[in-house]
Amino acid sequence: MIGFIILFTFISIITVAFFSIIQKKEADSIILFMGVGLGSVILFFVFSAPDVALTEAVIGAGISSLIFLMALKHLKATA
Amino acid sequence: MSIKRTLPTSTISGFTLSAVLILTFLKILLENLPSSIHRAGDELLKLNTQEGVANAVTTVVVYFRGFDTLGEIAVLFIASLGIGLMLSENSQCEIKAESNFMLKTASTLLFPIITLYGVYVMIYGHLSPGGGFQGGVIIASAVLLLLISHKDFEVPHSVIVLLETLAGVSYVLIGLIGLFTLDIFLGNFLPHDVAQMGMLVSGGIIPIIYIIVGVKVGSEMSMIVQNLIKRGENV
Repeated sequence: MIGFIILFTFISIITVAFFSIIQKKEADSIILFMGVGLGSVILFFVFSAPDVALTEAVIGAGISSLIFLMALKHLKATA
Repeated sequence: MSIKRTLPTSTISGFTLSAVLILTFLKILLENLPSSIHRAGDELLKLNTQEGVANAVTTVVVYFRGFDTLGEIAVLFIASLGIGLMLSENSQCEIKAESNFMLKTASTLLFPIITLYGVYVMIYGHLSPGGGFQGGVIIASAVLLLLISHKDFEVPHSVIVLLETLAGVSYVLIGLIGLFTLDIFLGNFLPHDVAQMGMLVSGGIIPIIYIIVGVKVGSEMSMIVQNLIKRGENV
């Protein structure tokens, strides 16, 4: 069962990362990048590293995506 | 401005080439595996019981590698400083959209709860997963919620400067006290009984240092987020 969860998470992370690369809009790409962070949270937790999972949930899926979105807003304002 | 993202053939061929290289490298590594592997983690886990801290990761981050943590905080400070310098030319910018009253009410209700959770993660850093870095960023995300929902909310700059300076100075001071009493920088000069392992007040200086790290990280991340949201609309 746990092996199935790990395999499913791995496959979905790779799929989401690929779709994040090929998006036309930058905002969609950032939102899919948050999905990659979410998958790695599950992986870290399953591999018994809850410290790293907590860090990844707060920084990888939360703050860093917001900083990307803010930078995108500034870029749109310049162009 | 829109950048077209179609994958060129050079990208795909480069990806394939690097995958083949990595697989070959892994195959060579796996064939020449040594018979017995000595790991540093086991030795550190044996030493962990001397400090009386239940969470082994905290002992490594704050005690065995405490000097490196000081450097990591300095890196974060420099990042915050750079963003502040880059976006400092424009003064206050106006956010045009007025937010919904439901968002305003929900964010004021959620702010104390998220802050309390961040403080809990910070204080229990030596007992449960979490610690200063995580707790600080959770507090910064609570500040972020208020920043995007309330148009005129802003953390006073003097408060952030005071908290950040106080935290940085006390980290170095605690390290220097350890240097003068025990001849080790960041030496554990407070009593730390192994018998009290798992209690809230245990582990000597380790929880104190993690709380200081949390205060410093929280103020720096709040400053970064506030600079990005409030300033520099037309850089």
